[in-house]
Parts: sequence; C-alpha cells; structure tokens
Amino acid sequence: MKNDIIEIRWHGRGGQGAVTSAELTALAAIHEGKYAQAFPSFGPERRGAPVLAFNRIRTDRAVRERSGIIKPDIVVVIDPGLVSLINVTDGLKPGGTLIVNSARSVEDLQQDFSGDWKLAVVDAASIAKKLLGVNIVNTTMLGALIKATEVIDCDSLREPLEERFGARAKSNFEACKQAAENTVISEITPSGDKRPRSFAVEKLPKWNELPVGCVVTDVGNTKAFCTGNWKSQHPEWLDSKCIKCGICSIFCPEGCIKQQKDGFFRADLFYCKGCGICARECWTQAIKMVEEA
Amino acid sequence: METLSVYVPKLVTNKEYIASGHRACSGCGEVLALRYVCKALGRNTIISNATGCMEIISSPLPETAWEVSWIHTLFENAAAVASGIESGLKALKRKHGYIKDVKVVAMGGDGATADIGLQALSGALERGHDFIYVCFDNEAYMNTGIQRSSETPFGASTTTAPSGKVSMGQHTWKKNMAAIAAAHNIPYVATSCSSYPFDIMYKIEKARKVKGPSYIHILSVCPTGWRCPSSDTIKMGRLAVETGVFPLYEIENGEYKMNFDYPKLRPVEDYLTAQGRFRHLTKEQIAEIQQKVIVEYEKIKMLSSRKKGK
Ligand SMILES: Cc1ncc(C[n+]2csc(CCOP(=O)(O)OP(=O)(O)O)c2C)c(N)n1
Ligand code: SF4
Ligand code: SF4
Ligand code: SF4
Repeated sequence: MKNDIIEIRWHGRGGQGAVTSAELTALAAIHEGKYAQAFPSFGPERRGAPVLAFNRIRTDRAVRERSGIIKPDIVVVIDPGLVSLINVTDGLKPGGTLIVNSARSVEDLQQDFSGDWKLAVVDAASIAKKLLGVNIVNTTMLGALIKATEVIDCDSLREPLEERFGARAKSNFEACKQAAENTVISEITPSGDKRPRSFAVEKLPKWNELPVGCVVTDVGNTKAFCTGNWKSQHPEWLDSKCIKCGICSIFCPEGCIKQQKDGFFRADLFYCKGCGICARECWTQAIKMVEEA
Repeated sequence: METLSVYVPKLVTNKEYIASGHRACSGCGEVLALRYVCKALGRNTIISNATGCMEIISSPLPETAWEVSWIHTLFENAAAVASGIESGLKALKRKHGYIKDVKVVAMGGDGATADIGLQALSGALERGHDFIYVCFDNEAYMNTGIQRSSETPFGASTTTAPSGKVSMGQHTWKKNMAAIAAAHNIPYVATSCSSYPFDIMYKIEKARKVKGPSYIHILSVCPTGWRCPSSDTIKMGRLAVETGVFPLYEIENGEYKMNFDYPKLRPVEDYLTAQGRFRHLTKEQIAEIQQKVIVEYEKIKMLSSRKKGK
C-alpha cells in the first residue's frame, strides 16, 4: 500500500477501549517519527453501545486534515458481535484491510464479506482472558493490526503502554505480541456466494423538517430504538425457581422486564443492555446471564 | 420500607414515564432513580431538566424518552425555569380560575445542582415556589467524562482530580446539599438512593403533596464513573447506606428523621474497595474516611433525636 496517509477506523463498544487503541496507535506512530491523529466519534450513546474511533497517520508531513474518516484503509473490529450488527466494511477502500476479533473460523468469516480486501482474524478474547485475566481486547488487537498492516512497529508500543498502564504494561505488551503471532491473514473476494446481511439504517429528519423550538410531540418515541444490540450477555429465566416477586422488573434500568400472562417475568431483548442487575438481584437466583453467541 | 415484604413490587404502578430505548449506560443507577421518581410523580407534572446525563440520554432529537411534559434547560438554570413555569401556572389560575393540579419539578445532576445551578436553586427555594427539586447525585460530572464536582467524595479519583504520584484524587469532603437546602427553611428535604425504589417513591409522593418548595437529594450509582461492574449497581447503593457513607433521612420543617438507622454500621472499606475510583486509597486514608463517616452519621442521629420545642 503506497499511501501518503493511512486512515483507520476502530469499531468497539463503549467501555471496551476502542479510543485507547486509537490513542496508543497514534502514540506509537509518533514515537517512530511519523505524524498521527486519534479521535473518537461522539454520540449520546454510552457504555455497551457501538462506538467508533479513528486514526490518521502520515509520514510526509503533519496531519492537517480535521474531517471525519469516510473511506478508511484499515478497519479494526474489537467486538466480535458487531460484525452481524453493523456494516463494518462501509467505505473500506478496495485493497484495504479488515481486522476482526473473532473465535469463528476464517472460512466462515469470509462468507460474511464481499469486497477486494485483506482479512485478518484473531481470537483476541482468549488471548486477553489468558494473559490479562479479563475480556478486554483493545490492546491485544493492536498486535493484529501490526501483523496485518505493519502500520506501526510492535516495539514502538512499549513506551506508550508503560505510560498508560504502568505495572500492567508488560502483560498488555505480551498479549499484543501473542495476538500478532496468532493472526491469520487471508483474502476476501468481491464475487461468490456470500451470506446475505442487512443493517438497520437510521433515518434522521433534515434541519428544516424539525418543528420550531425542537418540540417533540411523539412522546416516548425512543421505543423504536433498539438498545438490545449493546449487550454482550442476556438474562435467562429458570421459572421453576421464580417466586414471581417482581424484584427483577423493579430494578431493570431499561424498564424492559414485564410480567407475562402466566405470572412469570421476561426481559424484552430488543431493549435489554445486558447489565446483569436482574440476575444479581433475584432473591432465588432464578435468572442466569448467558454470553451472547 | 425496603424490608416490608418481598411482594411490595406488585404495588408499584406498571406505568413507565421514561420509555425504553433511552441511551443510558448499561446498568445506570441514575436512570433507575429517574424511573422511580417519574412513577411517583405521575402524568400531571412539568419537568425542567438541567443538562447532564439524564437530559442527554433521554432526548436525542428528534426522539424523546419522556412521557410527561418536559423542558430541557441550560446547565445552570433548571430551578429558575421551574420558578417561571410555576409562576406562569399561578397566573393562569388567577385568570381562568381552576386549573389542574400540576406539580412543577426541576432536576439536575450534582454538578448542575451543587455547583453551577446553586444560586438559581437557592433563589427558587428562598422565593418559596411550589415545586420539587430533585438532585441526581452520581458524585461527578459524568456526562462530560467524570470531572470532579463539589459532591465528589474525599479520595475519589476523577479525570480532573486524578489519583497518582502527587495526588490522592479528590481532597475535599462532599458538600452537604441537604443541610444547605434545609437552611432555606423549606417544608421538606430528604435524601434517598437509587437502590431504594420504595424510599424514593415514598419521598417523592410526600414532596408532591407539600405546598411550597421541597428538595430531594438522591445518591445515584454510576457504574461508569465509579468504575464498578454494571451488575453491582444496586449493591453499591446499599453499601453506601449500610456503611453510613450516605445516610437516608428527612428534614420536615426543620425536624430531622433518620429513616434507616443501623445500630452497627458496616465498615466503609466494604464500600470503598468495591469501586475502582477508590482503588488507590491507603489504609490510613480509609481510616480517615471511616472516622469522618461516623462523626457525620452521629450528627444526623443526634439531630433526629432532638424534637421541636425541646
Ligand atoms: C455552562 C455550561 N458549562 C458546561 C456545559 C457542559 N456540560 C454539559 S453536562 C455537564 C456535566 C453534568 O454533570 P452533572 O450535573 O453532575 O450531571 P451528570 O451528567 O453527572 O448526571 C457539562 C459540564 C454546559 N452544557 N453548560
Ligand atoms: S426476581 Fe427472581 S424470583 Fe422475583 S420475579 Fe424476578 S425472576 Fe422471579
Ligand atoms: S440484564 Fe436484566 S436488568 Fe439489565 S437490562 Fe437486561 S433485563 Fe434489564
Ligand atoms: S455515565 Fe453514569 S450516570 Fe451517566 S448514563 Fe452512564 S452510568 Fe448513567
């Protein structure tokens, strides 16, 4: 890739550290004498919601561009679940690279995408769980980025990691190196029989379609908005243990647990953000949190 | 109240005034408290809401999660806007005779209440408007990324008072807003916490019936800013109360009443070590906090035992 400027888009969820990944990438590039930028995309969404972070890296001169990134050269997907929720390859340049954290096989993932791209896959979650003790893969994924694109060098990460993580820098660096070793690189083709995918597209009114004073008369219309795709786990009920007390429904911040006709309770997974409060607060442990597939 | 019965939740209205699809963090205790407040207020309410997490997560234009009349104000003037609405309603009543029993409610975070909106709030309390002010205290400016406020507790690490080699984080003690509100000689002041739904609803219902200003200060657990797992939101609020860090009490016409009195408080360590924002505290600092908590708790107890006219 002979490019004056390399643009990266990171896909993660609020709280997973996509912004930190982007910042560390920029710091590593600067460490190498390059020019770099890291910035998040702001929205009202919070912990658990899909979020974006970006990098611009140049070797020839300072980065003076201040616009958003629409056509990235590289896309990194930190959360495996996002592949089926969001069009992660949106705008990805032909010849670009898609880097995915996933426990799925390369062949299986290839079926999801259609384009002239390089695909890099690593099961960062198991590496992070093993070396860091938590399923937080933002630093681990830097290893996959390094292996797949060589946009930065592994050693340039040492200092920024130490700055950021202090005593925990070493294990993060190890996770990064191990991810680089375990990243499998392959090609995606634009043709062939691919799994059909569809994504909800948010349609916003134009400024001149808004009523004066920004009055909203359609009360409670956030109900049309799915927050259910923020979750990485969901509650399951074991009705035989349930005493129908309703505590779970009282403590749900989404107000999405309702009593059914049979008296038992269920969460509306269209809204459930997977916080785990209901399972935690149920007196009889009738609720169990189950990881999203 | 909280220990009344396992079946108490059945008595709570199913009606929600904060619709699902709002954008609060997974496990947000502040939106939970807001749900209870709105359930207790009911439909005939006009809310004036300072900017902050609850305003941002509920109103991504052209959407709204609100199912009661609601107006978004600036950061500093929720109480002033509420004063205007309440005066307007009074004028309507004068002109047209009868109008519905509508309660005006102002609300904001701890930054909006104890810092930037304090003078507007003080003015509204002093003028005696018939309204409720609800402070959702998550102990920092969370909407903009965990900056310290005057309600941030001693020792907590925030982005503007970070812990590190030269600082232990916040080095001032939490401002006592309930006492400040009570100093305006208003009829009703109370503290509550997001982990105590029936306590919140009881106090809001009571405030709704008061003629004149009332002030409710609700400790609202914020897993994002407190750095704790989202599933621990309820536990964390309970720990705040059971350790005496945040006692729940009412001040009715100047008279204090402790609502949950624990003969033996849990050690503050249980509360502090469960949260990332306190992770750096030393044994000595924890001991200092423990001492202060006991002194403050005893103060409220002492005030509660003193009855009027004695
Ligand atoms: C005058 C002014 N200064 C700063 C801001 C930016 N701002 C919006 S919300 C917010 C923090 C709100 O904190 P708090 O009141 O504690 O509520 P929380 O978000 O924690 O619920 C800030 C600083 C603003 N809107 N107006
Ligand atoms: S809290 Fe547990 S026991 Fe109570 S209704 Fe919910 S699932 Fe059933
Ligand atoms: S995990 Fe339970 S409490 Fe949390 S949002 Fe889902 S249903 Fe509600
Ligand atoms: S930052 Fe805290 S108060 Fe704000 S929405 Fe998130 S959990 Fe709730």
